[in-house]
Amino acid sequence: MQLTLEFGGGLELLCDSVKVHNVSVDMPKGAEKLIMKDLLGWVRTNLIKERPEMFMKGDTVRPGVLVLVNDCDWELSGQLDTTLEEKDVVVFISTLHGG
Amino acid sequence: MEKGEEEKPTKAGSRLCCICNQKRAALKRPKTLQQICRECFYEVFEEEIHQVIVENQLFKPRERVAIGASGGKDSTVLAYVLSELNRRHNYGLDLFLLSVDEGITGYRDDSLETVKRNEIQYGLPLKIVSYKDLYGWTMDEIVKMIGLKNNCTFCGVFRRQALDRGAALLKVDKVATGHNADDIAETVLLNILRGDIARLSRCTSIVTGEDGPIPRCKPFKYTYEKEIVMYAYFKRLDYFSTECIYSPNAYRGFAREFIKDLERIRPRAILDIIQSGEDFRISTFTKMPEQGTCERCGYISSQKWCKACVLLEGLNRGLPKLGIGRSRGPNNDHKKGTKETNGAKSIESKQCGTLDF
Amino acid sequence: MACNPSNCQSNCYGNEEKAEVVVGEEYVSANQNQNLCIKCKTKEPIGGDEGRMFCIECFRSNLYGKFRLAVTSHAMITPTDNVLVAFSGGPSSRVALQFVHELQHKSLKNFDASRDRSLPVFRVGVALIDETTISPLPSHDIDRAIQDIRLIVSTLAPPIKQLHVVPIENIYSGDGTNRLKNLLDAVSDTTGKEDLLLHLRMSSLQKVASESGYNKIVLGLCTSRIACHVISATVKGQGYSLPADIQYVDSRWEIPIVLPLRDCLVQELNMLCHLDGLKTVELLKGPCSGINGLVSSFVRILQEENPSRECTIVRTAGKLTPFHFNRIPESDDSIIPLATRRRQKRYNLKPNESISSESFCPICNSPLNKSDMLRLSNLGSCQTNSDSFGAACCSSCRFQILPKDPSSIDHFYSLLPQPLVARAKRSSYDNLSLLREQIKDCLLSDSEDES
Repeated sequence: MQLTLEFGGGLELLCDSVKVHNVSVDMPKGAEKLIMKDLLGWVRTNLIKERPEMFMKGDTVRPGVLVLVNDCDWELSGQLDTTLEEKDVVVFISTLHGG
Repeated sequence: MEKGEEEKPTKAGSRLCCICNQKRAALKRPKTLQQICRECFYEVFEEEIHQVIVENQLFKPRERVAIGASGGKDSTVLAYVLSELNRRHNYGLDLFLLSVDEGITGYRDDSLETVKRNEIQYGLPLKIVSYKDLYGWTMDEIVKMIGLKNNCTFCGVFRRQALDRGAALLKVDKVATGHNADDIAETVLLNILRGDIARLSRCTSIVTGEDGPIPRCKPFKYTYEKEIVMYAYFKRLDYFSTECIYSPNAYRGFAREFIKDLERIRPRAILDIIQSGEDFRISTFTKMPEQGTCERCGYISSQKWCKACVLLEGLNRGLPKLGIGRSRGPNNDHKKGTKETNGAKSIESKQCGTLDF
Repeated sequence: MACNPSNCQSNCYGNEEKAEVVVGEEYVSANQNQNLCIKCKTKEPIGGDEGRMFCIECFRSNLYGKFRLAVTSHAMITPTDNVLVAFSGGPSSRVALQFVHELQHKSLKNFDASRDRSLPVFRVGVALIDETTISPLPSHDIDRAIQDIRLIVSTLAPPIKQLHVVPIENIYSGDGTNRLKNLLDAVSDTTGKEDLLLHLRMSSLQKVASESGYNKIVLGLCTSRIACHVISATVKGQGYSLPADIQYVDSRWEIPIVLPLRDCLVQELNMLCHLDGLKTVELLKGPCSGINGLVSSFVRILQEENPSRECTIVRTAGKLTPFHFNRIPESDDSIIPLATRRRQKRYNLKPNESISSESFCPICNSPLNKSDMLRLSNLGSCQTNSDSFGAACCSSCRFQILPKDPSSIDHFYSLLPQPLVARAKRSSYDNLSLLREQIKDCLLSDSEDES
């Protein structure tokens, strides 16, 4: 599945200072869909180069990291259970940086 | 990161804005748990700040107001919203951007570029005051001398004064800072944790320093950080978000993390903490330090010399530990030597966030 | 000279806050005594977290000293008292029970030795709130814990202390089990449910104390627990009422509550239980979740990072202005020994800073802040009992305990136990005109600033 991932608010520093990543993510084995929970695991393994604790806490994003799927707050689409579709744009923004 | 104006077709199950009932909801407001669309969000976000300004009489017509601008999200959104509201509601304010250049290569020089772009984007005159000009030292030079310990103490003391001096140069009546609700809740907790009852009684005031040279106000006192970031993102505002290179791994302290954890299970907790801070029964008879002026530079000070002059004296004499910790150098000569607080990773050594700004 | 690492942390901390934990006035300034107890300077200090500066005897006497100072300087227990110790089986209430017992034991000895026998010995009872009916734990586990607790209380040396094992549903008249369950089910917020249970527990204690003729309730609340309460009350927006809950004495209740372990850390209490082989029963302590859980793990981390943090938090909150009811009521003065009265003066407990007739939240019994009072006074006369109940609650309880849906309030109200309903009636009895009077005073004193 082709996805566009964007990192902002300082999170880009965790992945070689690259803000926009066009990626291809496989469905988990045996699953019919890809959900945010799967994507977070994938991002953590494949994109985050340092200090993963700045990005995740437990199995979700660290509190203070905003997530938008197609410019919509993921709190409206079910957070970890949000289903992703082809060409979706997922944005992660840290609120914890700078004043 | 330009994006197409038109959204992709809405996902199944996506909901409508509960204000206009027409457009697709784009975020969930932490304050009200409402799901609202972008346009309605802009409106309630700006309108609430307008209400805060009006109800608390933060500004008077024809005042000159400096916006403390660091290039970060809070001050960028503040500059944008204030100039917008000033126009829309005819505040009649003369707005300025005021930045402090601490002299940190690779951090402040970059963020100042952001502020310079803001100057053009929002049409607000910009004044930059630098540590180098004011004190003869850049933070780079200070860190070279004292190392990475306590550097945030220097930076905090110097910045506070620099902002006042810059405001004086601009001849403004007031400084507006970008402290948001999360910042204030954090400060309330930190003051409890360190036993600072005097600061605890003051830290939730929306206007401070009315007895000082230039009062400061916080129009974002009730504004959630999440909404500020969402606003900046949706409006594609140009802000700078890299942590200061001299406070590595400081990514804010325990208290910040705690507040974000709280927000996740109860968003209202942030406003509740502020409410508690406002409601605390603190006797008004609590002794406040008497304000005088620094014998050396004339800045307000409760001591013979102001903190900045003490620190500066230490730097210039090659004794940078002067003024750090409990002893105050020239102010209490009887206390020999400097007791350095040993709790190195103590929560009090909170790195420079927006708190001292 | 190298420090002994086991001594070092406390003595070299270089942080003045740290010093306050130690309480003892004598510090080892020279290194020569590093291996000895800082008080008696003869015996070896014990290991562990908080006790490492004292030898066993000095540690114990220091801890008991804190208890006794709190008791005597706040007139918590006087000779004619009949004291009810709330016992959960945990280390804090275990030590509270032990110390109250020792105090009683000592006064009994004095009584026997004294010629005129003028001062009677205070009486002690113990209460355990049995939450079997609403606990997720298997009932046989709880039964076993209660048996253990019975044993603990019955094996204390005479005089015999009566143990009241009170099912929490007894707060209702008649069989309240289902009503209690339904009441708790009606609260959707996890934290709210936990807090409501806490308030019900307190009401149960009040009820048993009142019915059995006790005139004081001793709680084992220690510094560590109070520190958590300070933070969680702040987080819940209860900043106004917070100082009411954290004083040595709280006599807003029918039966005044006293906290003689207010200055002891939980680590110290655990240590004492360990050293003296005081058996504790942890089973009955419910799990902490929601806001309360977050707060206690936050405070735990802070305390690990700096061992004086809990003290600092409580000290900060201690600087907030207490309420007029945070002292033993005036009428008791005649039986308070002169020495205690003098001490009270020294501790600056003025009889009345501001005698005000506060209004209290019927759920949590917290004094209402200005905005709650304003809301209440603007409401006018309410139509139904449940409406006026809802209106009389503090904003924190309204948010986390009362049902959001106005139509469910009636149902919720119908499930409330008598003491809470009575409290609401009483507060609406203090009718609105009085309330308006108070508001006027508030507003006046704000603008006048009579200093």
